[in-house]
Amino acid sequence: MTQEVTHWLDNLLKEIEGIEVRRKSSRRVRVDVPADALPALLELLQGRAGYIHLSAISCVDWIDDDEFELVYHVWSYENHSLVSAHIRIAREPGVYLSVYDLYQPAGFFERDIHEMYGIQFEGSPNMEKFILTEWDGPPPMRKEFDSEAYINEHLSWQEYNPEWLQELVAEGGGVIIPPEEQRFSQKKK
Amino acid sequence: MVMSRIQKIPVVEEKKGNPLARVFDDLVRFCRSRSLFILHYCTGCGAIELPPAMTSRFDMERLGIQPMVSPRQADILLITGYVSIKTLKRVILTYEQMGSPKYVVGICSCTVNGGMYWQSYATAKKLDEYMPVDLYIAGCMPRPEAVISGLQKLMDRIKSGEADSWQDYYQNYDYYLGNQQKLFGEDWQTPTDIITEAKHYELMGEGTLGEHTRLLEQHQNPLEALEMRLGHNIKEPIE
Repeated sequence: MTQEVTHWLDNLLKEIEGIEVRRKSSRRVRVDVPADALPALLELLQGRAGYIHLSAISCVDWIDDDEFELVYHVWSYENHSLVSAHIRIAREPGVYLSVYDLYQPAGFFERDIHEMYGIQFEGSPNMEKFILTEWDGPPPMRKEFDSEAYINEHLSWQEYNPEWLQELVAEGGGVIIPPEEQRFSQKKK
Repeated sequence: MVMSRIQKIPVVEEKKGNPLARVFDDLVRFCRSRSLFILHYCTGCGAIELPPAMTSRFDMERLGIQPMVSPRQADILLITGYVSIKTLKRVILTYEQMGSPKYVVGICSCTVNGGMYWQSYATAKKLDEYMPVDLYIAGCMPRPEAVISGLQKLMDRIKSGEADSWQDYYQNYDYYLGNQQKLFGEDWQTPTDIITEAKHYELMGEGTLGEHTRLLEQHQNPLEALEMRLGHNIKEPIE
C-alpha cells in the first residue's frame, strides 16, 4: 500500500516543471522548486494528494549566496508522509507570496518569519509584531545582525568569577569559567 | 552576594532604660524569618526545581516557606532563570508592588550574568542592575538541596538583620531607574511611585533622586486610581 502511494506521488510531482525530487525515505520527500512554482505545487499536493496539514514554514538565511531559503513542510494524514518543499528567494528585497489562501495557519508562520527575518509576504493578513512586541531593533535572526555587538552596546557584563563564587570554590563547590574560554569576542586568536 | 551600597540610616539615639526594645526587634526578625512567602512567579527553567523543593520530598514548608499567589502578600521574589527583556518589565512591576520588607533571590547562572544566554539579544544579563538582589543561588540549575540551603542562608540573614537590600531600592532608586531607562527607553514608567514611597518610609538617600528621576518626572503621566466597578456593563461592547 505504502509503495503504491509513494509511486503515485512521485508520478504526480513529475507534472511540475523544473522540480527536483529527492526521496529521503518512504515517508519523507524533499522537493526543490523554483519560487514561482511553489503555490502550484502546494495547491496540487493539497487538492489532489491530501497534504492538508502545513506543519511549519522554516527559513534559512544563506547570506553568502544572498538568498533566503523557505521550506514548507506539508503532511498528509492519508499517506502518512511529509513533503518538504524548498525554495530560494533573493535576499533583497526579500518579498514572497503568502500561501494563506491555501493554508490558513501560514498566517502565523509568515508573521513569525517576517518578524525574525524581515521577509515581506504579499497577501498575508497580518504582518504586525508577533512575539517580539517590544523590540525595535533589526530582525534578529538575519545573519548580518550581530547579537554580541548589540548586547555589548545595550547590556553590561558581569564576569562569572565574583568573590562569592571563589568562596564557594574554596569550600569545594562551583566552577570558575574564564571569560576568554567562553566568549567569542574575548577568545585569543 | 552582599550589597554594600546601603547607607546606614541615622538612628535616633535610644532611650536609656528600655532593654526590651532590642529584644522586640529580634523577636520580630525571628518571626519574619520563619514565615516567608514565595511569590508564584517563575521565569525561565529553574522553576522546575521548585515543585520538588516545595512538596513532600524536600518540603520547604518545614522551614516556614510557602508559595503565595499575590505580590502584595509575598515576601520573596524568586527569579528562577533567564529574564527576557519583556519579562523584566513585568518582574520590576511585580517587585515594586510587593510590600516591604521584600527579598529578591536570583536562582541559576542566568540571573548572574546571562548564563548560557550570554549572547542573546533578548535576555537581561545582570539582575542586580535592575533591582537589589539579596542572594544568588548559582548553578545550571541548582538542585532543590541548593535552593533550600540558599533560602536557609537568607533566613539567617533576615534573622541577623543583614538582609535589608529592599531599602537599597529606595536609597539608590536613581541608579536602578537609570539602568531600566537604558534598556526600556526614556519614557519608562511604572505604576508605583517609588519616590513618594521612599519619603513615606523615610528612606530617602543620596541616590534616591538624580538625573534619571528628573527624566522620569519629565515623561511621567500622572498616576490615577483605577476605576472600581463590578462586572461589565453589558450594553457596552467588550473590546
